Amino acid sequence: MSAAPEASPSPSRPAFWRNFGRFLGNAALESLDGGKLFYIWMFCLTAIFLVGANAWAVQVRDGMALSNMSDHVSWGLYIANFTFLVGLAAGGVMMVIPAYLYHDEEMHDIVIIGELLAIAAIIMSLMFVICDLGRPDRFWHLLPPFGRLHFPVSMLSWDVIVLNGYLFINAYICAYLLYMRYLGQTPDPRWYVPFVFLSIVWAISIHTVTAFLYCGLGGRPFWNTALLAPRFLASAFVSGPAFIVLAIQVIRQAVGRHFGDGPIRTLVNIMRITILVNLLMVVSEVFTEFYTGGAHTSAARYLYFGLHGHDELVWWIWSSITLVAVAAVLMLLPSVFTKHWILNTACILAFIGIWIEKGMGLIIPGFVPSTLHEIVEYRPSAIEWKITAGIWALGLIIYTLFIKIAAGIVLNRTKLHAIPDEPPASESSPAPLPTL
Amino acid sequence: MRSEPAVLHPVLIREPDGTPAVNSGMVDAQGKAVEIACVTCHATSTPNPQINRGDQLLKFHQGLHYAHGGLSCLSCHNASDYSSLHLADNRRIEFKDVMQLCGQCHGHQLESYKHGAHGGMNGHWDLTRGPRTRNTCTNCHDPHAPKFPLVQPIFPPRDRISVPLPEHPVQKTHELLPKNP
Amino acid sequence: MSSSSTSGCGKEDCGCVSRRTVMKGVGATLGAAAFARAIAPLTEWVDTLSVDEFLQRHYKELSLVDLKVVLRRLEKETKEQYGADVTISDTKPQEGVKFGYALNLSVCNGCRKCAEACHLENNHDRPSNQSYIRVFEMQKGSMDMEQGNAHYDKPVPQPDKFYMPVQCQQCEHPPCVDVCPVEATWKEPDGIVVVDYNWCIGCRYCEAACPYHARRFNWTKPVIPKEEINPNQGYLSNRIRPQGTMEKCTFCLHRTRNGRLPACLEACPTGARVFGNLLDPQSEIRWVLEHKRVFILKEDLGLKPQFFYFFDS
Repeated sequence: MSAAPEASPSPSRPAFWRNFGRFLGNAALESLDGGKLFYIWMFCLTAIFLVGANAWAVQVRDGMALSNMSDHVSWGLYIANFTFLVGLAAGGVMMVIPAYLYHDEEMHDIVIIGELLAIAAIIMSLMFVICDLGRPDRFWHLLPPFGRLHFPVSMLSWDVIVLNGYLFINAYICAYLLYMRYLGQTPDPRWYVPFVFLSIVWAISIHTVTAFLYCGLGGRPFWNTALLAPRFLASAFVSGPAFIVLAIQVIRQAVGRHFGDGPIRTLVNIMRITILVNLLMVVSEVFTEFYTGGAHTSAARYLYFGLHGHDELVWWIWSSITLVAVAAVLMLLPSVFTKHWILNTACILAFIGIWIEKGMGLIIPGFVPSTLHEIVEYRPSAIEWKITAGIWALGLIIYTLFIKIAAGIVLNRTKLHAIPDEPPASESSPAPLPTL
Repeated sequence: MRSEPAVLHPVLIREPDGTPAVNSGMVDAQGKAVEIACVTCHATSTPNPQINRGDQLLKFHQGLHYAHGGLSCLSCHNASDYSSLHLADNRRIEFKDVMQLCGQCHGHQLESYKHGAHGGMNGHWDLTRGPRTRNTCTNCHDPHAPKFPLVQPIFPPRDRISVPLPEHPVQKTHELLPKNP
Repeated sequence: MSSSSTSGCGKEDCGCVSRRTVMKGVGATLGAAAFARAIAPLTEWVDTLSVDEFLQRHYKELSLVDLKVVLRRLEKETKEQYGADVTISDTKPQEGVKFGYALNLSVCNGCRKCAEACHLENNHDRPSNQSYIRVFEMQKGSMDMEQGNAHYDKPVPQPDKFYMPVQCQQCEHPPCVDVCPVEATWKEPDGIVVVDYNWCIGCRYCEAACPYHARRFNWTKPVIPKEEINPNQGYLSNRIRPQGTMEKCTFCLHRTRNGRLPACLEACPTGARVFGNLLDPQSEIRWVLEHKRVFILKEDLGLKPQFFYFFDS
């Protein structure tokens, strides 16, 4: 986590920084401590991450010919995951909106789960971009004043700014709230509420700008649709809440406290709408493409039914549509609120369905057929799968550690121990889950 | 364009090389085809105006593939002087000026040629910087069968993918990677 | 996720701490060692790069002196890596010149000599048959590229086909330039869209943006036998490109900026190609534009290509 907040109630600057250092140290220690299950989980993730790191190093050394991308399909699994993860990050805000805009107190208590997800997802999406670069050593070319960021013309430069901005805003909010809690002080709304509102707008912007990356390309009719950004948002507001619902359940198992039924209900209600809106948009796109016909719809024909005997993507997209449709039905069942297995199945299906839709179902058909109408198919290579798994593993490691830090602080396990020049604030009342 | 007119380098038009000759169908000791200059025989023998295809000739011209519309040999060849050609109005022209002859029928092509829009060339687009060499008609077209022959195209493109397409097997790129130092 | 963790720092409980701490230390050490091992290929890769290369500024920020140093360094690197003696120059655009290209589809016979000439002239990767020109065999009576085939290998020309070579169209409004996040590609005053191969980060956004499939990526380090390397090289054109960067047709600017014709034109046996200065009313290209029925590819995209196609009337 970055940027130290300027905490106004803090007595003196040196003490503030010393305490902040302790906060980071304690947080790190706390995050690395856990039970057997925790260590097994971390060990597995680390192993997967190492496999991915090795694959990436080999790819950088030998060239991206090790991927199955080509001059025809020049973006593949990495950018597919990048796109999905930007959505996941934006979806994290779906807890923030009810919490802050509609003063949902219960949601307010655990909104940090969504904010931390946004941070982890943005870190992962940035890593996917790095892994997609032919020359990661030249990353500094993006950074002014030494680099030359092509702002505002290039949409990718916008994306660099909004993604990093979103990362910093969320990192700041989380760090500030946790640190205040750690100090035993009440967070000053002036120091975080404006940023929370900024993060809501910003969350919409990250996925909109990412959609503009694609829909601004006149040479690629499959992406060149005004529906792309709204569809991105609709699907993000399915995948984000779906992940959070699952995360809440795992976390409450792990910390041994029951919370979050209200927020889960709210999130499911959100998903009930967004998943249907997303499906409606799929239907209207499919209608436009197929009823109109013509050369511009060949990518859609390739995607949904195959073209000239090439049908690599057909099973991907139909699995996606099936998964999302089944998830939609499950979510609409009244028993989704009572039976956990229905809820969890719906969330998992929706999450995987959107992952396919925003990835293999969106990025790849933009390239097939190529702009000169050639069909060169794409199927990710082993090295691409390894790198992808590695980044997901690292993302989960980061998210796990964040959640552990947050849980430790929120549950008063990690807190500032006696410091000579500043007596610790009195224990806050042991509410079931103290408000952040 | 420069403000002051610069000295322009020449545009050279390639000329048909050597004396006009015909493949005799014989080979010399080195196995090279023996070419015999037209005038060797035609200085003395009288041409038969009935004949208009190589394969109708009994000597020398047998291998000559002829496919040039309804023209006969003497439409272009000068019966009174086989070291030259003649135009439609019977004016004598040299072999090197063959373009005039072709241009009588192929006016569009000649027009395009004059403006650099027909015929291969080498050298400079900018004649202030260097000369240009251009082909004449017969550099590319066989006057007896001017249509371009079928040729085998150069290598097809190879798309760098590791999964070969069924119809066009693709070599795996990374098998060809340089070994790392 | 952890099941509820025991004491965090464990100041109270010595016995448990030491064992746990030791295990953590061992775990961290093993993890770090494994990580170092995993990314070891990176160090091999870094060994092939130079600090000067890493720190090199954008082409437009190089002074003439800087540029000279860079050119000599690149020549030296080519010698080291490929064993070839080459001369890398940087000819600037000429005043009053804007390049245009036209192609006569009535006479193109699809022999791919242009693609081959490009392959040789521009020091393309040999194993991939790379070329900036892709020739399509098209069905007569249709401009539908979906029926085109770039992989044809039967003798040409087939009677029911015509042939359409496609290369960079040097658009007046190039989308590839707009999308580049680091300004590694731009349009020169003489109309050529160029790439600074030493500034490109290899994101391939330009490749996605180009409607003409004109851009190519160096998926590996190009492989070219020493004796086949064209030693007459330009910084912005045909020098051997580094791995992981974009490249594209530059109308052979190392030749054309010195007044010479592009390699693809010289190689064309049918004379289908017309090249010249669009700003010179006497030029051949202007004559074609004014006298032939010229069209451009994908005119609806509004990119105003400087590459024209025509049929003899």
